[in-house]
Amino acid sequence: MSTLRSINIWQRMDKWFLVLYLLLVVMGLSTVYSSSVGDDVGSLFSWKEDYGKQFYWILISLFLGFMILLMEGNFLKNSSYIVYGVVIFLLILVLFMPSINGAHSWFKIGSFTIQPAEFAKVACALALARYLSTSGVKIENFRTKMNVFLLLICPMVLIVLEPDPGTGLVFLSFIFVMYREGLSGNVLLLGFFSLIIGVISVYIASFETVEINDAVIQKIVASGEKFDPEKYDELARPSGFFSNNYILAAIMLLFGLAGMLIVKFFVMPRYRKKYYPAVIWSTLFAILFILSINWAYDNVFQDRHRTRFQIQFGLKLDRKGAGYNIYQALSAIGSGEVTGKGFLEGTLSNNKFKHVPEQSTDFIFCSWGEERGFLGSLVLISVFVAFLLRAIIIAERQRSVFTRIFAYSVASIMFFHFMINLGMVIGLAPVIGIPLPFFSKGGSAILGFSVMVFILLRLDAERKDVLR
Amino acid sequence: MDPFQNRRWVIILTMFTVGVVFIVRLLFIQVLDDKWAQRSMEITHSEKSLKPSRGLVYDRNGALLVEASQVYDIYIFPDEIGEVDTNELATFFDLSRQDFDAKLNKAIEYASYKPSIFIEGMNKEDYSKIAFQLPSKKGFFEERNTQRGYPEHVAAHVLGYIGIINQEEYLADKESEEPYYKMTDYIGKTGIELVYEKELRGRRGVVSYLKDRLGNEKEDLTQKNAIAGNNLYTTLDLDLQKYAESLMKNKIGCVVAIEPATGEILSMVSAPFYDPELFVGRDLGKNYAKIAKEDTLNLKPLINKSIYNDTYRPGSIFKLVQALIGMQAGVIKANTPFACNKSLINCHNHPSPTDVSIAIQHSCNPYFYQVYKRLIQRGEDPSGFKDSRIGIEKWAESVRSFGLGVKLNTDLTGIKSGTIPDANYYDNEFPPNNPYGKHSWAFSTIYSNSIGEGEIGVAPLQMANLAAIIANRGFYYTPHLVRKIGENGQKREEYLEKHYTVVDAEYFEPVINAMEQVVENGTARRAQIEGLSVCGKTGTVQNATTNDHSVFIAFAPKENPKIAVAVYVEYGTWGGTWAAPIASLIIEKYINGELSEKGMKKELRVLNETILTKNQVFK
Repeated sequence: MSTLRSINIWQRMDKWFLVLYLLLVVMGLSTVYSSSVGDDVGSLFSWKEDYGKQFYWILISLFLGFMILLMEGNFLKNSSYIVYGVVIFLLILVLFMPSINGAHSWFKIGSFTIQPAEFAKVACALALARYLSTSGVKIENFRTKMNVFLLLICPMVLIVLEPDPGTGLVFLSFIFVMYREGLSGNVLLLGFFSLIIGVISVYIASFETVEINDAVIQKIVASGEKFDPEKYDELARPSGFFSNNYILAAIMLLFGLAGMLIVKFFVMPRYRKKYYPAVIWSTLFAILFILSINWAYDNVFQDRHRTRFQIQFGLKLDRKGAGYNIYQALSAIGSGEVTGKGFLEGTLSNNKFKHVPEQSTDFIFCSWGEERGFLGSLVLISVFVAFLLRAIIIAERQRSVFTRIFAYSVASIMFFHFMINLGMVIGLAPVIGIPLPFFSKGGSAILGFSVMVFILLRLDAERKDVLR
Repeated sequence: MDPFQNRRWVIILTMFTVGVVFIVRLLFIQVLDDKWAQRSMEITHSEKSLKPSRGLVYDRNGALLVEASQVYDIYIFPDEIGEVDTNELATFFDLSRQDFDAKLNKAIEYASYKPSIFIEGMNKEDYSKIAFQLPSKKGFFEERNTQRGYPEHVAAHVLGYIGIINQEEYLADKESEEPYYKMTDYIGKTGIELVYEKELRGRRGVVSYLKDRLGNEKEDLTQKNAIAGNNLYTTLDLDLQKYAESLMKNKIGCVVAIEPATGEILSMVSAPFYDPELFVGRDLGKNYAKIAKEDTLNLKPLINKSIYNDTYRPGSIFKLVQALIGMQAGVIKANTPFACNKSLINCHNHPSPTDVSIAIQHSCNPYFYQVYKRLIQRGEDPSGFKDSRIGIEKWAESVRSFGLGVKLNTDLTGIKSGTIPDANYYDNEFPPNNPYGKHSWAFSTIYSNSIGEGEIGVAPLQMANLAAIIANRGFYYTPHLVRKIGENGQKREEYLEKHYTVVDAEYFEPVINAMEQVVENGTARRAQIEGLSVCGKTGTVQNATTNDHSVFIAFAPKENPKIAVAVYVEYGTWGGTWAAPIASLIIEKYINGELSEKGMKKELRVLNETILTKNQVFK
């Protein structure tokens, strides 16, 4: 144990993970540069420019990462709760800071701002790993589940209070970690099926309010313009085909009956008693779920919500209103075509043209997609997935439960960001404002994500020497 | 061992699936479906047009007739105005609140998502008052434009006017092979502005550029410069046009003067006329309505009667044509005598003509009754009806070679052909007035044509062309108004083509001699000009209840004629009373450049006369 300090970190460090990390950081910085450079092309080292700040934040991150690599894994593990406590304290403190852009999310120091929520993720990962790796703590216990729930819900609530619901939502990603550590798969399955049924129900409900608006079409034609259904595709959609969700409920009922028959003919008699109620209850629950969504759609949600749903499902463009962001984003990405327009050649998603909102933060992928094209998209997604899978590989080779849980936390958090952010800009997920790791401009984010990476690198480097 | 380690595969599979789904989605957005790439072009690319300057119009001596001055059109984009104080905006544009609201509503009704015109043709002075603050008014912008100006205030009918393209013109252009116009463009509406629209307007240039979110022009991509319109060099003589207009003031009728050797129209007046300056810019609609409304006597000042009014009967001037065709057809010779037999058709007192010249000189009605009778009834068929049918076809064809009864291809629109009645006409169009029914017409029912009355209708331009034909001894160039398109340009090819009549040159001499006598000793003594041999022929077109119309055609000098003129003065009594002196003044002014003492007296008499009301003087 005493030799730990002297392990050769450079030899034992996972080079693949480091290289993938650095690759993402470099790609990210180039995108921040190209998306935030204005009419005057300034130096990358300029403090006053967004890309200059990002560059210095990266330098700080690398320096801090270097320091972390020199720390002992045990020290990191032991400080987990302290770090968690400090972050919770900062999350409370930040609520009393002056609001910036309508949220109390930042500490402002000079021209730099710090967002404690970004560090809450790594703090939770450490604390969760520490708690679950404590001997005697079994995930099957209700008490454990409650403790984990509390551990996660505290920062989540504080962050939602800022308000920053997007970042708050990130804490849901720990469900993957819990699953890997033994949480019943049914929880995931339930969530998965609820999501699928919910999405389909809302989708079908959305059809009802889309009508071919003859008055609008006539107005367009009268103005002498050619009526181009492609351009006004929200008007030309068929409506009323699925008149309502009752059909879906009926289909669900058929599924239920089919399930009963399967149980009757394919399940051994001694299990039938157990399965019948399961099938009956889940069918009833699903039907109730569908009908309540249908009801809520008509009676709880307001027109603006319904519009959002319709935009989400591509039933409506509303390119000047609620659909503006996504319309601009898709146009920018689509304009990249196969090979892209080239570095700094974008004409939509940069600070010069500003056709895409938040082009260097949440919508930064637009800049990448526009300038690097589909090939670039392919590279970015491949590198990102490779990075995530590398984290899983690292996790799975640990003897240390602490390191494994921490590694899964890193992978899950990054994956959640990746899925929600990219899904949002390409119109597959709802518009939720969370950054794309290593790409989106923001010092706290790059610092927080880098800290995760370097802690994981350090812990992994010690895997042969320590059993925590 | 870890009982849950296989769960890693669920997680790995999930991550992998998400990655693949994203890549497939991006494949559609970026590669397979070009919808988004096209939409991005709509977002980033914009075009603005560079307006060409419209060609100017000059007279035959280089005097400017139509100028183009710089004005500003203010456009409104209703969707972009936002919440504003409309009172303040109304004050800003110097409009009353009602006017402002009316204009705003009109624009919104047209389309709130694209710009439409708000204030048209603001002059530089007015524009300079708002220019500085205009960019800060959201939803309003200006566009430079050219506006017509008429420094000489003449020839309104010929020059025509321009205005913003209307729906009909716009749609017609859209369906043409090369659509050009935008909803905000100006287009020639009448006159040579319309006929030479393509030459005058030039070609719009276009700059395509990249715009930012606010629509600001960021980067120019391509630029195609505007090509200025060609200047037109017309055949009009400014001084003569001005003079003719002054003479026709307070009268109804027309003056058309042509250079016989070329067919170039030196002057074209349709009275009453209006000041072309009234039809400029935003006042066009207002003044147009005003002129139409003030025309209580139905004098139609907006219409160019010299080409459009083809129901004018030519009266006695038509006898010239009858004489020429008669001689060419061989039904008379130059020395054929006919008695002035008033039982055939009424006539005034004069000795019986012993030859065709004397008949013309005295404008003998019975003489031309006989000529026409011989032309119509040539004895080729024993049936009088059938014979008349053969005769009139031959006659009509000959008359048409004089540019009568056919549409002259002059460079104006709204030209009418006039009427030279033929068999078809009497069979089909005449019956309502024909008591004898179809095929039941013969010379005896149509003999009024012999003296230019009856069913013959001729537009003043055709009368002037007739004078030019006689001056040329048998041919004409289609009368036209533009000598050159562009400084180094040519006139249209069709105006270089000689059109021959069916009558040989030799038959013109007796007629021309007679016309000289008409002025020397006959009905047109008022047309005499000292030292100049003027050849002319008066006409007195009979009206049942009002004064007769006064008609006169002439050319001068007799040899190498420089000018041919037709003057038509409605309700001017005798041909010699008003038409002849007006024509002679025009000839004198054109050839001599100034008036003799006698001419000045004549001028004073003409200028002081007002003949505006149809029922002014009863017979």
